[in-house]
Amino acid sequence: MLGVGHKFPAFSLQATVGLEKGKTFQTISDNDYSGKWKIYFFWPKDFTFVCPTEIAAFGKLNGEFADRDAQVLGGSTDSEFVHLAWRQNHEDLKNLPFPMLADIKRELCTALGILDPQEGVAQRATFIVDPHNVIRYVSVNDLSVGRNPQEVLRVLDALQTDELCPCNWQKGQEVLKPVV
Amino acid sequence: MEKFLESLPEHAKDLKLNLGTVLRQPELTEQQAWGTAVSTAVASRNPRLVEVVQAEAAGHLNEQAIHAAKAAAAVMGMNNIFYRFRHLSTNPKYGDMPARLRMQAIRTHGSDPVDFELWCLAVSAINGCGVCVDSHEHVLRDKGINEETILAAVRIAAVMHALSAVV
Repeated sequence: MLGVGHKFPAFSLQATVGLEKGKTFQTISDNDYSGKWKIYFFWPKDFTFVCPTEIAAFGKLNGEFADRDAQVLGGSTDSEFVHLAWRQNHEDLKNLPFPMLADIKRELCTALGILDPQEGVAQRATFIVDPHNVIRYVSVNDLSVGRNPQEVLRVLDALQTDELCPCNWQKGQEVLKPVV
Repeated sequence: MEKFLESLPEHAKDLKLNLGTVLRQPELTEQQAWGTAVSTAVASRNPRLVEVVQAEAAGHLNEQAIHAAKAAAAVMGMNNIFYRFRHLSTNPKYGDMPARLRMQAIRTHGSDPVDFELWCLAVSAINGCGVCVDSHEHVLRDKGINEETILAAVRIAAVMHALSAVV
């Protein structure tokens, strides 16, 4: 499984982005949302019990993530049509403000190392990826355990509060070269 | 701007004349001068001065630069206080404790990084943080900016700060 410091793998996937006819699907790749932080989170199967709660919880915090220049992206190994059906079917998912990635070939989940060996579906993994596409945080829960998006937000905040100002440099320290 | 300058009282005549001069110093590019004017006007806390300077700056700066100049004033308004506390206190422990403050604007302002640094320095001069003045000055010279340019920006800061008290 990929960990902190690894590059997030390249991908190009169909995603379900809305319910409006003609605007339901979109191709999304690792190069989209350049300059932004990304929150990727995966769940095992659409239409199962734990998932909609936490997905809706991520949806509720979408504005908080957006304020922090972060794009939320959910995903599973279900197809984009299954995602659409689920969203049409579930009250809490109708107005979901972020895309649902359809990793139907399991290539992204395989590259990330989060395919469950028994079930063959995505584990409940969460990645915070910085604007340079480097993984800065990973967590994986057992298939049956839901996540706390507030905790993801807290970690993002902590990652973003590095002391970027030269005022912080101590005497004798090398001059930092800020990443432009 | 002209109307504003005319409205300045007689006892502030030096400031009035200085303002015209410092904004046209050959050591500074147009963006450096006007970005410094905007950031130091904001740092000087006089809403009328900010309004006048920003309106005039719109003819000299693109939107991104105006945004970045105001972002420099915003973020340094916080950092100057925080880091000044650290260096004023004789307890060395504070230096080892994390700031835990967001300062993403330093990375995401979207304007020229050297100019942004110069605006941060000018704001630090107003807010009076020695460590910030020293560290930003150091970075600027490291990036090839000479003392003449730096002092030219500080002149703008000084005049802006004085004007804010008489307007």
